[in-house]
Amino acid sequence: MPGKWDWLKDEIGFSNLLTGGRMIFKVVQGKLSADDLTKCALCSNMCRHACPVSIVEGRETTSPAGKARIALMIREERIELNLDNLEPLYTCLGCDLCTPYCPFEFSVADLIRPVKEEAVNMGVVFEEFREVFENLETSGDVYGNTDSGADGSGKVLYFRGCTVRNERPELAEKTLTLLEKLGYEAFTISETCCGLPAYNLGNTELFKKVAKRTAERLNAAGAELIVTSCPSCAYTFRVLYPKYGIKLKPQVLHITELLGEVIGGLKLKAAEAVTYHNPCKLAVHLGRRGLLKSLLENVEGLEIREPRRELFCCGHGGSAVSRLKPELAEEIAAERREQLRDGAARVVTACPSCELALNGDGLEVIDIVEFLLERMEE
Amino acid sequence: MTLTFDEVLKRPKRGNIDEALVELKRLLKDKVSTKPADLFSYSHDYWLITFHWLLKGEVPALPDAVIFPESEEDVVNAVRVAHEKGVPLYPYGGGSGVLGATVPEYGGIVVDLKRLRDLRLYEDDLMVEAGAGVNGYYIEEYLNRRGYTLGHFPQSLYPSTVGGWVATKAIGQFSTRYGGIEDMVLGLRAVIPPGKLIELKPHPRTATGPDLRKLFVGSEGIFGIMTRVWLKVRPYPEERFLLSFASESLEEALDSVRRILHRGARPAVVRIYDRVETKRHFYKFEELYGKIGTVIIVEGDSRLARAEKEIVEREFRGVPAGEEPVRHWLKTRFNVKEISEFAPIGVVIDTIEVAVNWSRAAELYENVIRAMKSVKGTLMASAHASHFYDQGVCFYFTFAGVPPKGRSAEEFYNAVWDAAMRATLDSGGTISHHHGIGRHRRRWLAEELGDAYEVLRKIKLAIDEKDVMNPGNMVM
Ligand SMILES: Cc1cc2nc3c(=O)[nH]c(=O)nc-3n(C[C@H](O)[C@H](O)[C@H](O)COP(=O)(O)OP(=O)(O)OC[C@H]3O[C@@H](n4cnc5c(N)ncnc54)[C@H](O)[C@@H]3O)c2cc1C
Repeated sequence: MPGKWDWLKDEIGFSNLLTGGRMIFKVVQGKLSADDLTKCALCSNMCRHACPVSIVEGRETTSPAGKARIALMIREERIELNLDNLEPLYTCLGCDLCTPYCPFEFSVADLIRPVKEEAVNMGVVFEEFREVFENLETSGDVYGNTDSGADGSGKVLYFRGCTVRNERPELAEKTLTLLEKLGYEAFTISETCCGLPAYNLGNTELFKKVAKRTAERLNAAGAELIVTSCPSCAYTFRVLYPKYGIKLKPQVLHITELLGEVIGGLKLKAAEAVTYHNPCKLAVHLGRRGLLKSLLENVEGLEIREPRRELFCCGHGGSAVSRLKPELAEEIAAERREQLRDGAARVVTACPSCELALNGDGLEVIDIVEFLLERMEE
Repeated sequence: MTLTFDEVLKRPKRGNIDEALVELKRLLKDKVSTKPADLFSYSHDYWLITFHWLLKGEVPALPDAVIFPESEEDVVNAVRVAHEKGVPLYPYGGGSGVLGATVPEYGGIVVDLKRLRDLRLYEDDLMVEAGAGVNGYYIEEYLNRRGYTLGHFPQSLYPSTVGGWVATKAIGQFSTRYGGIEDMVLGLRAVIPPGKLIELKPHPRTATGPDLRKLFVGSEGIFGIMTRVWLKVRPYPEERFLLSFASESLEEALDSVRRILHRGARPAVVRIYDRVETKRHFYKFEELYGKIGTVIIVEGDSRLARAEKEIVEREFRGVPAGEEPVRHWLKTRFNVKEISEFAPIGVVIDTIEVAVNWSRAAELYENVIRAMKSVKGTLMASAHASHFYDQGVCFYFTFAGVPPKGRSAEEFYNAVWDAAMRATLDSGGTISHHHGIGRHRRRWLAEELGDAYEVLRKIKLAIDEKDVMNPGNMVM
C-alpha cells in the first residue's frame, strides 16, 4: 500500500528537492515542525462549535484558536503579559471539548497553560484568584473552611471533595448510605483539597504542594479504595498526581465507576423520563463517556431522552470563568439548560458542581447517587 | 499592508473615531471593547497571507474598537453612529473567510455578530429563522434533533456563521443536491446606512421587482449588516447511498457527471479528484491510486434516492470502488491541518476556487495547473471538482510552494494567484465560485465584471454614500 506522503514525493519530484522541496520533506519526516501552540494559533477554529465559551460569548479573542493566538503573542513578547491580555486565557473552562475536533488532538487548556504559569510566577494574578490560592495555602480548602470531621478507618475511603463538603453535605450522607446498601463500609477523613483549582489557575507549584499534603493524608488513612463524588477529584488523583510524581497508594474510582461494576445486580424501577448531563471530567478526561447513560439504562421503565447536545460544559469547569466572569458562567449554564430541556425536565448528572450550576429555571437536576437511591427505595 | 502594531495604531484615521466611540459606549456600554487583545484578534480573518505576516510579528490592520451587539437595536445604533461620524464598520461572523474580507483596513469598528444567535423552526413552512451570528454546526444540530437538515455543509461548517454564509455566498459539500446558500435564503433583515433596519420577508416566491434579497447574497458586508435570515430546511434524508469510482481520465469522470445531471439525477455530493489529490486523500485505496477518483453520495426519500443511484451507476464510466472511500471522505472532511503544519516553517499554501461551463472545463483545469506550476517556487498544484451544475463545474485548486531567494512570501503568493486568475479568465471561467472577493481578489474583479463593475460601485455608494460599510472590500 502506498504511504501517506507518496503523492507528495511523486508530485514534487527529484529536481525540486534541491530547492524548497527539502523543507516540505523535513516536515513530512518529522524533522521540522512548528510547536503545538503555533499550530493551534494557525487553525481556523475547527473546534469553535464545541467550545461552550465560544458558542455563548461569541468573542473571537476567547475562541479556541483565538486564545492560542493571544498566548503565542504573549509568549513571543509581541503583546504584554498583563491582566487585560491574560483574561482571554482564563476564559477557558478546561473542558477539552475542543480536543476531539482537533486534527492534532490538542487540548487548548494545556497549550496555553505555560503562559498562565509564567504569569503566576511573575506575580501577575487576578485578585479573584488570590483568595483561592490563600485558602488552599492556609486551610487546604477552596472555600477557606477547615474540615473538622473525624478520621475514620477501613478499606473504602469516601472522598467528598470541597464542593460536596461545603455546598452539598446531604449528598455526602446519601453517598455513604448508598455505599452501605451496596455492602461497602465506607469511611471519611478530615479532607484537604485535591489541588485542581490551583492547577487550573496556573499555579502549578501550589498545586503540587496541596497535592502532596492531600496524598499523604490519604495514604495514611490506609484504605484500599478511594471513591469520590466529584469527577474532578478522581481525575486529579488518577491523572495529574502520577503526572507530577505524586504517589497515591489506594485505587481511585469515581462513584459512577463503582456503580458501573455493581449496578447489574440491583433492582431499579422507574416510570418517568429523564435526560442526562455528562460532566466533562467524567466523560472526556476520565474517558467514561457512555457510563452515566449506561447506569440509567439499568433502571427498568425509565425513558432516557437524549439532550440536544451530548457534551457541553455547565459553565463552572476550570475554576476561572465562574470567578472571573460569573455572568458568562451563568450564561453558559443557561444555554446548557436550554439544550437539556430538549430532552426532559429532570436531569441526572454525576458531578456536584454541574448539579449546582444547572439546577433551577424549570429544570430539576439530580445527582446519580440520589436518583438511584430514590429508585431503590421505591 | 504589513505593519507592526505600533505603526498600525499610528496610521491616519478615517472619520471621527473619537466621537464615534464616545457615542457607541454611551449606547452599547460594555458591548464595546478597546482592549488590545480584542483589537489584535480582529486584525485578520483566515486569509492565508495574514498568518505569514502574523508569524513575523506584523499585523495587517487593527480596528479602533470591536463591538458585540446583542440586538438589532444595537446594530442600528452602530450603523447610525458610523454613518454620522464617517467611521468604517466591518461586519464579522466567524472570521473563516479566506480573502481578507473582514480585515479592518482603514481602522474603525469591527462588529462581531455572534451574539445574535436565536433560532426558530417553522415546521409547516419548512423554514428556519436564525440570528446572523448562529454557528454553522449549531444550526445543523438544532435542526437534526427535530428531524430536519439545512443541507449546507461548507468545510468551514464548524467555525462559520449563518450571516457569513449569506454574505460570502457560501456553498456546502452537499451542494449538487441542496444548492448553495443562495438557494436556501428565503428572506432577511439587514441594517443599512444611515441606520435603517430593512426586512425582505420570507415568502415562498415574490415578484415585487428585482430580487433585493440577492443584493445581500455575496455582498460581503459592503451594503449593510444582516441581522437575521430565513432559510429553507429539508426533512432529514431517509436513505443514503455511497458510491465511488476510478476513472482513467479527468474528462471521462467529468463527462460521466455531466450525463448524470443532464438526466435529472441530483446526487448530494460529487467530488472528482485529479490524480495527485486522489493519491493524497485516498492512498489507502489501491483501486483508486494513480487514477482519477470520484466519490458520490445520493440521499433523500428512499424511493427517489434509489432511482438516482441507478442513474449514477448506469451513467458513470469508470470502475466502481465501493463505499469505503466515501466513508473515509465523510470521516476526514473537516480535518484541516496542512496550514498549521506548513505555514509556520515558511511554506506558502492556499486554495483557489473557480467555476466554468462544461465545454471548457478540462481546458480550464489544465491551464490553471500549468499557470500555477510555471511560477518559480511552486512545488505542487492540484485540484478537485467539488460542485456541479447542469451548465458546468467548480474546480478547487490547491498550491504549495516556497518563495525563491529574494522573493517574499507575499510576492510569491500574489504571483501564483495572478497566474491562476489570468488562466481562469482566459479559459472562460469566473474568478470565484464560493469564497468571494474580499481584499485579496478585488484587483481582478473589474476585469471579470467589465462595465458591470461600475454598476456594482454605484449601487454600493447609493446605499452607503459615505462608504462606511467595509470600505475597500470587494470594490475600490
Ligand atoms: C477551512 C475552511 C474551509 C472552508 N470551506 C468552505 C466551503 O466549503 N464553502 C464555502 O463557501 N466557503 C468555505 N470557506 C470560506 C468561509 O468559511 C466562508 O466564506 C464562510 O461563509 C464565511 O463565514 P464567516 O461567518 O466566517 O464570515 P466572516 O469571515 O466573518 O466574514 C466574511 C464576509 O462576510 C461579511 N459578513 C459576515 N457576517 C455578516 C453579516 N451578518 N452581515 C453582513 N456581512 C457579513 C464580512 O464582513 C466579510 O466580508 C472555508 C474557509 C475555511 C477556513
